[in-house]
Amino acid sequence: MKTKLFNLALAAALAIAITGCGKKEDTNEQPVANSNAKKVIDTSTVGSVTGSVTLDGKPAPIKPINMSAEPYCLKAHPNPVIPPEVVVNDKGDLANVVVYVKDGLADYNFDTPKEPVVLNQQGCMYDPHIIALMAGQTFEVKNDDQTTHNIHPMPKDNREWNKSQPPGASPIDETFGRAELAIPVKCNVHPWMKSYIFVFKNPYYAVTSKDGKFTLKDLPPGTYTIEAWQEKYGVLDQTVTIGAKESKPLTFTFKTAAASGD
Amino acid sequence: MPDRSPEILPEDPIKNRSFAFPLLIGSLLLILTVAWSFYVEFYGLQPWRRYQSRFAKAYSEYLGKDIKRQKQDETDVYSSPEYKQLAASLASAQQTAKVQDDEIAKQIELLDDQRAAMADAFKDERGKIGHLVYQYEIVPDSDKSAKAKALKELNEGRSSTWKVDWPTGNGQVEKNKVFTADQLNDTFTSIMAQRAALVAKRGEVDKPAKDIQADLTKYVSDHLPGLSSASLDGLRRSMEDFDERIIQINVNPTGASINNLGGAGLVDRCESCHVGTDPKYVPPQVALTKADLGMAKSNNAPFSSHPDLDLIQWHPLEKFGCSPCHGGNGRAIDSVQRGHGRYPHWLWPMYYPENYQAGCQQCHSGDMVTEHAPVLNEGKQLYRQRGCIGCHRFQGFDNQDEQLVNARQQILQLAKTKSDDLLTIPRLQKQADAAPDNATADKLNSQATNLTVEISRMDARSESLEQQTHNLLQEIKKVGPDLKEARQKLRKEWIPYWIGHTTEFRPTTKMPQFRLSQDETQALAAFVWQSGLTSPPLEHQAPGNAAHGKQLFEERGCLACHSMGEGSSTVGGTFAANLSRVGEKENYDYVVRWVHDPRQRTRPYCPYEKRDLGPEDYAKHNLPYVFDLDHSRCPNDGHELVVQQPTVMPSLRLSMDDTRDIATYLMAQKRPDASYASADYMDDPQLAAKGKDLARHYGCAGCHELSGLEDEGRIGTELTNEGSKPIERLDFALWTEDAKRGVFPDGKSSPRGPWYDAKGFFEQKLRNPAVYDQGKYHANPMDALRMPKPNLYGDGDVEALVSMLLGSTDPTLPPEYMYRPADRRRYIQEGWWVVTKYNCIGCHQIDVGQKSVMQTLPYYEGENKANLPPVLTTEGARVNPEWLRQFLANPSLSTTDTNRNGVRQYLQARMPTFYLSNDEIRKLVLFFQAMSSQPDPFIPPKVKPLDDSERAMARALFTSPAAPCLKCHMTGNEAHDKNAIAPNFLLAHDRLQPAWTERWIIDPAKIIPGTAMPSGLFRMEGDHWVFSGPVPASVQHYQGDQADLLVRYMFSLTPQEQAALVGKTPTSTGGGTKPSGGAGGGK
Repeated sequence: MKTKLFNLALAAALAIAITGCGKKEDTNEQPVANSNAKKVIDTSTVGSVTGSVTLDGKPAPIKPINMSAEPYCLKAHPNPVIPPEVVVNDKGDLANVVVYVKDGLADYNFDTPKEPVVLNQQGCMYDPHIIALMAGQTFEVKNDDQTTHNIHPMPKDNREWNKSQPPGASPIDETFGRAELAIPVKCNVHPWMKSYIFVFKNPYYAVTSKDGKFTLKDLPPGTYTIEAWQEKYGVLDQTVTIGAKESKPLTFTFKTAAASGD
Repeated sequence: MPDRSPEILPEDPIKNRSFAFPLLIGSLLLILTVAWSFYVEFYGLQPWRRYQSRFAKAYSEYLGKDIKRQKQDETDVYSSPEYKQLAASLASAQQTAKVQDDEIAKQIELLDDQRAAMADAFKDERGKIGHLVYQYEIVPDSDKSAKAKALKELNEGRSSTWKVDWPTGNGQVEKNKVFTADQLNDTFTSIMAQRAALVAKRGEVDKPAKDIQADLTKYVSDHLPGLSSASLDGLRRSMEDFDERIIQINVNPTGASINNLGGAGLVDRCESCHVGTDPKYVPPQVALTKADLGMAKSNNAPFSSHPDLDLIQWHPLEKFGCSPCHGGNGRAIDSVQRGHGRYPHWLWPMYYPENYQAGCQQCHSGDMVTEHAPVLNEGKQLYRQRGCIGCHRFQGFDNQDEQLVNARQQILQLAKTKSDDLLTIPRLQKQADAAPDNATADKLNSQATNLTVEISRMDARSESLEQQTHNLLQEIKKVGPDLKEARQKLRKEWIPYWIGHTTEFRPTTKMPQFRLSQDETQALAAFVWQSGLTSPPLEHQAPGNAAHGKQLFEERGCLACHSMGEGSSTVGGTFAANLSRVGEKENYDYVVRWVHDPRQRTRPYCPYEKRDLGPEDYAKHNLPYVFDLDHSRCPNDGHELVVQQPTVMPSLRLSMDDTRDIATYLMAQKRPDASYASADYMDDPQLAAKGKDLARHYGCAGCHELSGLEDEGRIGTELTNEGSKPIERLDFALWTEDAKRGVFPDGKSSPRGPWYDAKGFFEQKLRNPAVYDQGKYHANPMDALRMPKPNLYGDGDVEALVSMLLGSTDPTLPPEYMYRPADRRRYIQEGWWVVTKYNCIGCHQIDVGQKSVMQTLPYYEGENKANLPPVLTTEGARVNPEWLRQFLANPSLSTTDTNRNGVRQYLQARMPTFYLSNDEIRKLVLFFQAMSSQPDPFIPPKVKPLDDSERAMARALFTSPAAPCLKCHMTGNEAHDKNAIAPNFLLAHDRLQPAWTERWIIDPAKIIPGTAMPSGLFRMEGDHWVFSGPVPASVQHYQGDQADLLVRYMFSLTPQEQAALVGKTPTSTGGGTKPSGGAGGGK
C-alpha cells in the first residue's frame, strides 16, 4: 500500500516536472523556479491543529458607531452598533481572530478553491468582518443596502482598487494575486465600515467563530509556527510539532491592556 | 694520350660557398615578417573582426531559436479560433462584396472607355467653341452688325456635330454616334458624376471587409508582438553572410563646427565591436542581452543592445554616436583599451559604470532633474544641499546672489547718474538765461528739460530694479542657518562643541567637517556668539503640550523634510535637519518664533548702510517696527531690505498654541545626559575678531548669514567646467606617483588600477580633501587646503557628485546638441529647479513613477494613505493656472482664516506657505502646465450653461443614492465636514478644468491610483455615460451624458444652491439633528 502511494506520488511529481518542462519550451521565458517540481502532500499522514482563542481581561468599552450621516443605515439598526473590533462572549472566547501557519510549511502546491469568498454589505456593515482567502480565489462583494457603497482595499503587496457599488448592482468579483496579511478595506462613503482581508498561499488558515474555536485541517507532519492575529491586540505565535495523523490542541490567550498591566 | 687533367683552379669563393642557408633563413624571415605584418594588419590590429565573427555566429544561433519560437506562436495564433473566425468572416465579407464590386468595376470600366472614346471630339469641341466665344467677345458692343455675325457663327458652331465610335458595353461599339457641342459637354459631366458615385459606392461595399481586415491585423499584432518569423529570418540571413567591416558613425557631419574640424569632429567606430547596438542588425524589438547569446558570464561579449531603449530613441545613434555620451576614443579600433580611451594622453576616458550618467551632463547641464539619470540628479541635489554651492560657483545653479549684486550696482549707478544730472539741470538753465540769442537758449533749455525726463525714466528703471531685488531677496536661500540669530537661538556652550563635533552630534548634518585647531574653534565660536543679535529680545513664551506637539509634528507633515530618531530608528526625510537632539542646543522662545514663522528675523538688514536696523531707525521716521514682505523698504534710504531669514523652511500657518506645543515637543528631544562645558572665552572681543578673520578665510558666509560678512563671495573654485581640467592642473600633491601606480592614500590598492585621472582625483577629494595636504610643508598654517570634508554617506553620494563633476566639461558637441528646449519642455526644465529647491516632492508625487517622502513613511501605510497630500501628476490638466497662482501664494485661500488648508481642509498634513517670489510662482505654474501638456497661455474653456430642466435633473442626481458625492465632499456644514474627505464643490468653478473633472469622475483610479474616490460611478450606455446606480425618475429619460451634466452643474454651483442641496440630502437631515446650516455653506 505504502509503496503504491509512493509510486503514485512519484508519478505525479514526474508529470508535474514534465509539464513544467514542456511549458518552459513553449514560452522560453518561464522563471527557473517553476521547473522545480513542488512537493505533494501525502494525504494519508496529515494531521490537524484544533484550538480556541480567548481574551484575558475585560476589553475597554468601544464607542458605538454614529451612523447619522446615512439615514438608511441608521434605520437598519434600531440599537446602536458597536464596531466589531473585539468580539468576545461572557466566557472570554474571542471571535474574528485569524489563525494561520506563519512558518514551517514546505513548498507545496495547493489548488485554489473554486468557490468565491463573499463579503456582504448589510446595514452599512461588512459581513463577515474578517475575510480570509487564498491567492487567486474569487473575492465577491455584494451590496444588500439601498445606498451606494465603495469598496476600497488598501494592500501593500497587491494591486489597490476602489470601486463604487450602487444599490442593486451586480456583485464585484476580484482576486488577490499575492499573499498578504491584514489588508485594510474600507468604504470611503461610510468611514465606519472597516474590514480586513487575509490572503494566503496555502489553505492552513481559519477565522475563529463566535465560540473562539478554530481548526487547521490536513496539515502535513512537521513543526510549525502558528500565529493568531487580532485586530486590536496584535499577534501571538506558538510553535507546534505535528506527527503523522496527529491532532494537536492549541490555545491562544490575548491579554487586554488592563490584564497585562496586572 | 696525354692525361690532361683539368686545371684545378683555386676555390672560387663565389661559386663554391653556398648562400643557400642564409638565403633560406632570410627568405623565411621575410615570409614570416610579411605574414606577421599581414596578420597584424588584418587581424592583430583589427580585434573587431573577431568580435564581429563571434557576434554573427552567436546571434544567428539565437535568431534560429527565436524563429522557431515565433513560428510556433504564429501557428498558434493562425490556428486559434478567434483568428480563424475573423479570417472566415473576412473571406465571406470579401465574397459578398465581390459580386457587387465586379459589377461596379465593369461599369467604371465602361465609363472610362466612353470617356477615352470621346476625348478627341471633346477636346476639339472645347477648342472650337472657345475660339468662337473669344471672337464674339472681342467685337465691341457698338459694332452691332459684326456682333450679330459673330453670334451667328457661334450658334452655328454649337450646333455642328462630332462623330464618335461610342462603346455601349460588352465590347459593343456604336459606330459614328453623333454629338452636338452641348451633348458632348453634358455627356462628359454625366460620365464624371457617375464615376464618382460608383467609386463612393464601391467604398461602401468594401467597408465591412476592410473593417474586418483591420480587426484581423490588430488581432495579429496584439497576439504576435515583436518581429515576424520572416523578418527574423531576414536578420538571420544577414548574419550568415555578414560582411566584416568597420562600422562608423560621423557625429553631426554637416552641422556647425565646434573645433574647425567640420561638424562635431567626432567619428565613432564603437559599433564595430558593439555590433548589437546597431538597430540595423538588432532592431529594438529584439533587445539582445548577453544571456540571449549564451554569454551571460562572459566579460568579453560586447554585444548587448543598449539597455535603455528610451535613451536610444531620444538620442538616435546616427546623430549622437556613442562616445559623446560615454567618453572614450571613438576613432580607435586597434584595441579595447584605446577604444575606451583609457590610456595616458587621451583626455576623455570612457566613464566607469558608476559614472555613466556623467555623459548626460554635458548637454543636460541646464537640468536640475534629467529623466533616466537618477545618479546625476542625486549629484546635483547633493551639490546644492550639502552646500558645495556655498563655496563653488556652478553655472546654472542658484546664482540669485550674483544677480542681486548686479541689480544693486545698477541701482547705485543710476542714483549717481541721477544726482549728477540734477546738478547739470540748473547749470544748463543758468546758461540758457545768459545765452546771447534765443536759438542757443532754446537748445540749452530743451537739454535741461530732456534731462528731467531722463531722470524720471531712471526712476522707473530704478523702481523695477528694486522690485527685482525684492524678488531676488525672497529667492536667495542659504544652506545653513542665519547666524545673526545664533545668540537668541542657541545655547552658548553648545556652539564650540558643535563646531568641533558636527557629525558626532548629528551624523546626517549638511555641515561639512573643517579641520580646525581648538584655538580656531574657540575663536569662531566667540565670533558667532558676539556677532549675534541680542535685541529686540524674543517674546517670552509659555510652555505647551508636548504630547499634542508630537501628534502635530507627525500629522502636519514635518517629517517630509525633517527626520527624527537616531541610528536605525530614524524616520523622515533627509532634506532638512534631523531633530533628535534639537532640545540640547536651542532656546525655547526662539523655537516658538521659528516654527511659527521661520522667515522672521530679529532685525532687518540694510545692504546699503551695511547694518542691521533696529526699532530706533524706524522710530526716527515715526514708523512702527514692522518689516516683512509688504514692508520691505529701508526707512532711511528707501531701498529694499533683507526682511526674511534666507531659509527654505515655509510657514505652516499654525496657531500660537499649536506652535508652542510643537516647540515644547521639540525641546524635549535631547539625550538625558547632555552637558556642555562652559565657555567663558566666547565673550573675549579679541578672540571674536580673530574668529571673524577665520570665518572669512574658511568661507563660512557661503552657507551662513554672518554679521559683517554679508558681502563675501564664494571662496572656492568654479566647477562649471571642472571635468575638462587638464590632469596637470589637478593637484594630486604628494600622491601623483602613487596614483599612477594604483595605490590609494590609505595604502590599499585601487581596484581599477591607476587612479591618476579626474575621477580618481575627485573621489579622493570628496572622501577626504585633507589627503592632498598630507606630508606637505606649510610655512603658514593658513596655506593648508581649506576645503572641509563634505558629509557624504557612502560611495553612492561620492559617485553621484563625481558623475556630475566628470560630466561638467567644455562642450565637445556643437551648441545645437545642448538641451536648451524652446518649447514647453523649457518650463519643465526651469520648474524642476524650484520644485527641488523647496522639496515639493517631500509631500507630493509630481512625476509618474516618482514617490514622495511621505508616501514612504510608515505613518502613512495602510488606511492612513488617505491622509497623504494630493498626488500632482496631472495638476496642470486638473486646475486653472490662474487659480494655482493664487493658491501657491496663499494656500489657505483666505486672508483671515489661515490656520487651515485652502482646498483639503480635512487633511491633517498642511500645505505650507512658501513665500515664493512671483518669478518662482510663475515657473511652478508653467511647470505643472507643461508636465500635463497644457497650452500656455491658458484660455479657460467655456462650460455650457445648464437650462432649467437640466438644472433640476442635476439637482436630483446630486442628491440621489447613485451619486453619494456630498457624503464625502465638503459642504461648508461644520458637522458634516468633520467627516468629509474631499474638497468642496464650490471651489470647482475657479479651480478645476472641466475636461479633467469629467475624466476624473468617470475613472479616478486611472488618474490617481489609490484615491479615496471610487471608480465605477458611471457606465457607458451607447455613446454616453450614465450613472451605474439607480437614478431618479426625472433623469431616466435624459438623453445626454450624465457625467457631463454633473460637471456642468458642479461648475455652476453657487453657495445658495449648495445650501439648498445640503438641506435636501440625507447627509445632514439624517441623524435627527437639524443642520446648523445650509447657512454655513457660504463660508
